[in-house]
Amino acid sequence: MVKLKINGTEREAQAPAQRLLLDFLRYDLGLTGAKEGCGVGVCGACTVLVDGELFASCLTLAAAIEGAEVTTIEGIADQGRLHPVQQAFIDHGGFQCGICTPGQIIAAKALLDFNPQPTEDEIKQWMMGNLCRCTGYYGIINSVAAAARNTRNNAPRQPTDD
Amino acid sequence: MAIYSAIGSSITRGEGPDKVTGKSLYAADITLPGMLWGKALRSPFPHARIVSLDTSRARAVPGVRAVITAADLPDSLVGRRLRDMPVLARGVVRFAGEKVAAVAADDPAAAEEALLLIDVEYEELPPIFDAAAAMSPGAPALHPAMSSYEGLPQPPSGINNVFAHITWGQGDVAQGFAEADLVFEHSFNAQLMHQAYIEPHACLVSAEPSGKAQVWVNNKDPYALREQLAAVWGLPEERIVLHPCSIGGDFGGKGSFMDAPLCYYLSLHSGRPVKMVMDYIQELMAANPRHPAVMTIKSGVKRDGALVARQARVVFDSGAYGAFKPTVYLRGADHLCGVYRIPHARIDSYMVYTNNVPKGHMRSPAKPQVVFAVESHTDLIAREMGLDPYEFRRINLLRDGDSSPVGHQWREIRADETLRRAAQSAGWDTPKPAKPGTLTGRGLAITDLSQGVGRFAARVSIGASGRPKLHMAFWDTGTGSHTVLRQMVAQELSVPVDEVDIELLDTSEMPFSSGSGGTRVTYTAGQAVVGAARELRRQLIRAAAPLLDSPEEDVSLHSGRVVVGPSPQRPAYYRTIAIGEVAAHAPAANHGEAGIVAEYEFASEPPDVTSFCAQAAEVEIDPETGAITVTRFVTAHDVGAILNPLLHQGQVEGGVIQGLGYALMEELQTEDGHISTLSFGDYKIPTSADIPPLTTVLVEGASGPAPYRSKGIGESANIPVAAAIANAVTDAIGAPITNLPLTAEKAMTAIKNRESGN
Repeated sequence: MVKLKINGTEREAQAPAQRLLLDFLRYDLGLTGAKEGCGVGVCGACTVLVDGELFASCLTLAAAIEGAEVTTIEGIADQGRLHPVQQAFIDHGGFQCGICTPGQIIAAKALLDFNPQPTEDEIKQWMMGNLCRCTGYYGIINSVAAAARNTRNNAPRQPTDD
Repeated sequence: MAIYSAIGSSITRGEGPDKVTGKSLYAADITLPGMLWGKALRSPFPHARIVSLDTSRARAVPGVRAVITAADLPDSLVGRRLRDMPVLARGVVRFAGEKVAAVAADDPAAAEEALLLIDVEYEELPPIFDAAAAMSPGAPALHPAMSSYEGLPQPPSGINNVFAHITWGQGDVAQGFAEADLVFEHSFNAQLMHQAYIEPHACLVSAEPSGKAQVWVNNKDPYALREQLAAVWGLPEERIVLHPCSIGGDFGGKGSFMDAPLCYYLSLHSGRPVKMVMDYIQELMAANPRHPAVMTIKSGVKRDGALVARQARVVFDSGAYGAFKPTVYLRGADHLCGVYRIPHARIDSYMVYTNNVPKGHMRSPAKPQVVFAVESHTDLIAREMGLDPYEFRRINLLRDGDSSPVGHQWREIRADETLRRAAQSAGWDTPKPAKPGTLTGRGLAITDLSQGVGRFAARVSIGASGRPKLHMAFWDTGTGSHTVLRQMVAQELSVPVDEVDIELLDTSEMPFSSGSGGTRVTYTAGQAVVGAARELRRQLIRAAAPLLDSPEEDVSLHSGRVVVGPSPQRPAYYRTIAIGEVAAHAPAANHGEAGIVAEYEFASEPPDVTSFCAQAAEVEIDPETGAITVTRFVTAHDVGAILNPLLHQGQVEGGVIQGLGYALMEELQTEDGHISTLSFGDYKIPTSADIPPLTTVLVEGASGPAPYRSKGIGESANIPVAAAIANAVTDAIGAPITNLPLTAEKAMTAIKNRESGN
């Protein structure tokens, strides 16, 4: 039995000891948002957050992170309201076929959580771990930059003394 | 705010919310109750006789429900046109990775375990890996039964292992060379490349007891696939239903049947639905990559720089089979003489069997290869004649009234303007930036691409909700075509785009449609959709006129309403009715609901206009390491109306970067017929850190053949990239690299040869 907190909910399922996190999500829990591309941790299509850190779920044993908090693409929107990164990918041509998009969005969210105002160069370096064959990356970089701008603009006001 | 000017707006994709939340279902995401997992055993040898095959140990593995070999299948061959491939190898394997047996089991692990227990005894046969060697008279014939295959474009040429020898041209090349003052000849090689869609091939097939087969597969040509499956399975087409799913990248690679024919037999033998998903090792080893090519071009030129003759030859290594090519040969090879005025031209293209992986289509099939060759050749002639490559091109570029080297008579030829705009944007007439310690260079290249033809069916309906709905059995490969087609409906019915829905139907619910590809969708699917929407508009007006108590000619559609008025410019109409209300008065038409439905089929003819794409690259080369960096890239496109700037630009950018990968880094390497680059760690494609500053120049104003005078944009940007970069590299080093990809190692060799005067 493997037990994980997935997108805020405790989930458990019977799975063999060697079950990969990606397969656990997709086949044991039916969460098919994370995709299998290369299967060897290079393409980034299977990217998820484990306790806030980027993980290649195709290289991670589900049992090895027992009890961890996992965030997948299904858990990014807030009660139906798209995360600013998701909206920016729609508005700025951040995807075409969409197969790498769950991983791209998780990676971009992790970047902005870690560095809310990245430079273009920082975006390019960070997003290197997520391959995309459709966009040539220009739309992805624009989307991440736009999400950073929107997040800044929508940030809650700091309380002020008056 | 509602958007009524649907055409020309950067409408975001309708499928966007599903794609950014992980809800979109791709073939590998779909499951059926009782579904099994299918896996295939592949040959470790590039050429061998199968002496014996024993599956008894595999059948004993717990959870295994079916194990099949060629002995369990009808003796029929499969192909997109040329039917030369067995579903499972029968007696002989012709490439390393060919499927010889297959297993269906309760879970993937049991299937994998069973594969290891299938005993196959092979007797190795001498392999042929080189296409030129395969053509020599002494080479063994890899397909002795070739002349009996269905789907050959013409009777076999008689050249050993050549299954298609296609020629193009005009004039008389012997006469042309006799008229020439100077003759130049160069040879070029283009490498084996993978489409590198991130989603591997996947399919799910349920062979039902009723005799029907339900199929989910990431294939962009569902009706063509249905024909291929019907032929090999021996089923009538109407018993095969292909269901829509999202496709995770295509680039030409998702038009082949891949595991679908086999998956059906696993389902038939196990009595259960079966899913097969290739892993990426299998993808890189045994899918349908882009053809490598060996090309030679000889040109006769007058002293003033005018081309008078060109003779060109291309040999494509098709690999073990020709089954993955919808036209058997590659039509794009007709671009081997370029976009120049050459009165005497001839192209010979050969498609050759070898013991390498079978090849398929990749984005603008054959054109990136042959344009690399002809545009490199163009620069080498200019260099040898002491002419500026831009000026040399301008002397010879096609102009209105010219016939292309292969006899096309295009109207509205905008080659010169497109090249001029690219050169201008790249600062061609300004000095190259000098950076101490580096070699810098600039290069140009130009090509054209006309819209492909096909046939599409579209249905548009409207019910009481007033929301028009477009119905098609046409899957999007990621280009955003569904959104563009919805824009067309919105435009024709004068409603906001976000009020137009799309419903994807399965193949049983619509007449034949060609799939996505060949820069045909906006042109051909577009005309079908516009036709259906216009027919619906006519019907709406016909139905509304009596409700508005007005003659039809006084009634028009405006902002989602049928209105009575002499002109849409009038500030207010004196009588109006919502289109949904009109539909609500109509008799039941659509699944028993009140409404109006219109259907339209359109088959396109080859258009009389083409579209030019000119590009300019600027490179820096480190003379110590040979590392090539593209520091600037310009892509100029001869376009008509742009229906959706956001999506249009996406095609341009993606195409350029695929071209960049082709130019600089991507190659499926082989060792004795085995592909050795078996992961994205070894098979390098561009990442976000590899992309150059890109300038897109849109040379607008053309009258394209697609709706609203638009042109397709899906393929052109990826074609001249390698040529433009190669010419920049030649300019930087002072010596050419004539084989792709342009690696640092090759650059170092060229630099050293140049320094030592070789």
